[in-house]
Amino acid sequence: MDYKSGVCNFCGTGCGNYLKITDGRITGVYSSRNHPVSKGRLCVRGWHLHEWLMTDQRIDAPMIRVDGSLKKVSYEEAVNFMMDRMSVYKGKENKEIGFLASPRSSNENNYLFMKLARGVFKTNNITLDSESGHKASLNVLSEGTGFAGMTGSLEDIAKTDFILIVGSDLTKMNPIIGSEIHKAQMSGTKVVTICSRSSQIAKLSNVHLQIKPGSKKVILGALAKAAISSGAADSDYISKFTEGVETFKNSVNSLEPADIEALTGVQYSVISEIAEELSKSSSAMAFWSTGIAGLDQDTVSYIYDLFLVAGKIGKEFCGVNPIAGIANLQGGYDMGAAPDILTGFQKINSDAASKFEKAWNTTLNKEAGRDIYDLLADKNSGLKALVVADHDEGIVRYEKEIEALDFVVYFGAYDNPFIKHADVVFPVAALVEDNGTYTNTERRVQLSQKRIEPFENAMPGWKLFPMIAAKASQNWNYGSAEDVFKEITSLTPEYAGLTYAKLIDSMGIQWPCNDKNPAGCRRLDAEKAGRKFKFAPVSGNYKTPSATAEYPFLLIRGQGEHFWHQNNIMKKSYIPKREYNATLLVFPEGYVEICKEDAKALQVREHWGVKIVSGSGAMKVSVKISDDVKPGTAYVPYFIREMITEFLLEHKSDIGRGEDAIIPVRIERV
Amino acid sequence: MYLIEKNNVMKLAEELAKSYDLYGPVIDNETKQVFFNKVESASEISLTAEIPALPPKTVVFPQIERITQYKYDKVGKKAEIAMTYDDRSKAIFGIRPCDLTGIIVLDRFFLGQEFVDDVYKEHRKRMFIVSNTCVVPFKQCFCVCTDSGPAADEGYDLNLTEIGDMYLVETGSEKGKAFAEKMGLKPAGDEYIALKKKVIDKSISLFEKVATDNKAWISRIMNRVTTGFIKDEVWKHIGNQCFECGACSFVCPTCSCFNIEDHNRFDGSTDRLREWDSCSFEGYTKMAGDHNPRHPVEDRRNKRFFCKLSYSQSKKYLRPGCVGCGRCQWVCPGDIGLPNVVTYIRREITE
Ligand code: SF4
Ligand code: SF4
Ligand code: SF4
Repeated sequence: MDYKSGVCNFCGTGCGNYLKITDGRITGVYSSRNHPVSKGRLCVRGWHLHEWLMTDQRIDAPMIRVDGSLKKVSYEEAVNFMMDRMSVYKGKENKEIGFLASPRSSNENNYLFMKLARGVFKTNNITLDSESGHKASLNVLSEGTGFAGMTGSLEDIAKTDFILIVGSDLTKMNPIIGSEIHKAQMSGTKVVTICSRSSQIAKLSNVHLQIKPGSKKVILGALAKAAISSGAADSDYISKFTEGVETFKNSVNSLEPADIEALTGVQYSVISEIAEELSKSSSAMAFWSTGIAGLDQDTVSYIYDLFLVAGKIGKEFCGVNPIAGIANLQGGYDMGAAPDILTGFQKINSDAASKFEKAWNTTLNKEAGRDIYDLLADKNSGLKALVVADHDEGIVRYEKEIEALDFVVYFGAYDNPFIKHADVVFPVAALVEDNGTYTNTERRVQLSQKRIEPFENAMPGWKLFPMIAAKASQNWNYGSAEDVFKEITSLTPEYAGLTYAKLIDSMGIQWPCNDKNPAGCRRLDAEKAGRKFKFAPVSGNYKTPSATAEYPFLLIRGQGEHFWHQNNIMKKSYIPKREYNATLLVFPEGYVEICKEDAKALQVREHWGVKIVSGSGAMKVSVKISDDVKPGTAYVPYFIREMITEFLLEHKSDIGRGEDAIIPVRIERV
Repeated sequence: MYLIEKNNVMKLAEELAKSYDLYGPVIDNETKQVFFNKVESASEISLTAEIPALPPKTVVFPQIERITQYKYDKVGKKAEIAMTYDDRSKAIFGIRPCDLTGIIVLDRFFLGQEFVDDVYKEHRKRMFIVSNTCVVPFKQCFCVCTDSGPAADEGYDLNLTEIGDMYLVETGSEKGKAFAEKMGLKPAGDEYIALKKKVIDKSISLFEKVATDNKAWISRIMNRVTTGFIKDEVWKHIGNQCFECGACSFVCPTCSCFNIEDHNRFDGSTDRLREWDSCSFEGYTKMAGDHNPRHPVEDRRNKRFFCKLSYSQSKKYLRPGCVGCGRCQWVCPGDIGLPNVVTYIRREITE
């Protein structure tokens, strides 16, 4: 049979698929009917995975930079060159060296990359690319419940009674999760979406709370306040399973109905009604997208606290569910690719570190490192060398800063804009050219098996990283990716019960998988958690951005299905690339969506050029008139690097705030 | 009409494998999903497997295939071009009636119009087709509503119908007859006409109980779809649910949209590829100037259903474009597989 089962490598849904392989090459993809998550569905990206995997835009040999240009060399020479040049930089005290890991790499490769950073270069400056929102979400969940992952399950979406979606459009970001929610809605689940734009998921919901831009925290706080003051809140649950409700109560009680209505544009009576439905439902789930356009930690804390108030965490068919935008974003954190954690969210400055020291037979630096993007943004950080794996974002941000670094090492399978800044480049075997596990957004660890030989003999990670470690006199001994996985499971309590054999026999297993839960765990269980759930600290800051006479519009932004994550890999496909180009054809400079009334007032028509001016920059785009936004709101999709991104880059600090980065602007006719 | 014992029926496939590349329904060991795929040996084929997830159209119209290869020599300013049609002889064994009807529809699209598609013709030219009557329907089937099953009446070389511990073998072509003779099959008596009818009637009577996923009395809505008297709200309700994944076209045994792309190979040559496309994609029909600014998604959706369900389109295929296989229903992230759309439209009519 030409069809071999596999896992989609685009977003964090982790849909099951089949790849068609003929004569050792990938020649097609098909959906998997019996897969527990995708049940026969794939989105437009998943249906074109083969196009990306077929590409010849690959790195075909190790390269080193000599006199300004890259020269092909052997792996041995490239490793020598790297170690020789890197020896002058200090990793200790988290100076000078940084590691940028990939949310698309397998757990095994991420683990080894992390081990290289910490064990060999002694630095904790390691960051997962295109993150922010997901780590913030995991911080909240791990602090609050001890569970650093989605507390519910995708399979339970069909069975839950009430769904709250906060922010971005799941039908575009994680379409198959969007589909699952849509199907639940069709069969009776109440779906409420909070979003400033009438996105597709908003259209498919029972209730769309089209709030004023930037007022998510207000409405979430208001929902909690309403639940508490009406008595709908689950007080038995709160006293039995939680601690710290008082502080949270105080911070939402300051919200007055009149202010809530003014700030959100939603009537308090509507909010009360929804708060009551949420609290009284037999089960409920919250969803929000994480990743580059995700919510900030404060907003996530409000969602989490609201669900504690409603008594909907750790119970059947319930869940607070951060949705990872990239295939192994969750797995990347599980593997400790962050400044402050080892695998399984074990803190670097805790006792766990000595377990790793013993297993790795080396000493570790136990002071948490710094985020790579912070280091790049901070001119005085002293960062000199950067080691990068499988970069995805087309280095949109910080290209100048990267160019200015002393030394850059790049590991990857595909041609990538990073290469032009790299001093050493290593080809690595790609997806299905080696075994590897990937952990989707619901903690499902899935094995993607080797199905074809690596392109031009590219080395798998388990061979390549030990070669580098060996130069530093460390003996890492692996005969396969499976050996790496065994080491991971021995050091990571959540993964302790997992084996390749178990994974081959299943369509993924959700962690924690251990002695107590040999078949994995569908959800967090309040009864068995062995601890109380802590309310997350919230800021109590309800300030929302406001339009002024000078800047009368509030600009929001979003991502799309095809123009997704700056497209380094989407551009290697055909159909998704064409779809992206189709948008470009009609709107070569990108577009801004405004409503009919605003267009009329500005005296502009569809396709006309306008200038968007903010306090710190300006860009030219075309007008798209749409019922999807309200008067005073302007929406730009975040996809045209040359135009929109340049403008947004001027607002780096706003972007850091994630999805709630609202920029007041003025729109001028040109 | 001939007969062959059940436990000998695979001998037919074995014999075909000697002179053809053999394709048939195969069950994946790991997940039990059924594919219609090329096999190394006849023993991989299962005649009792459920309707394959992957439609047999992949044999004549693969998801992605190279149709030309070229290399441009920049210095000599010369291009080497090679047409690389797949001209191997193929036998498909155990195709279900709906899917066979699908191939007939594709024939009419690729071969039956002013323009004959050479790539398709090469796949199809030396083909031997053995169809398999559905003596019980599957959950997703509604071929009885689309006049494409549960038994095939044209397009095959041989048609198999399981009757007791025998297979009735009907021949549909000279090629089929010659093959049956060569295999020395025992002729079947006239009583088998009635016996076959009984088997088919039984199968039809089982639809009510077994084929529960989908019902789609398409004849009742064809008029509406053709004349366009369907309320905007209905299309909007449908359009809002389209996730624009393309799956409905990919899995459909009669969908024929394709796209041509050039794939630059590492060695400097270029493969010209033809691949499945879908009318649900914006880029498939996009023209500069954005001609459909109002309801783009709805318009594209209603195009698909027009293609499957209107009289004007049926004239081209000499039958409705839908053959009742039910695949688009289970792959759709929205809830708008063709059977559901028929239901939405019927509901509107009855209201
Ligand atoms: S939803 Fe995500 S995992 Fe599923 S097919 Fe689409 S990109 Fe792949
Ligand atoms: S429209 Fe749907 S049910 Fe009809 S033939 Fe195509 S895939 Fe099958
Ligand atoms: S399968 Fe459904 S969602 Fe996908 S393109 Fe077809 S109608 Fe749209």
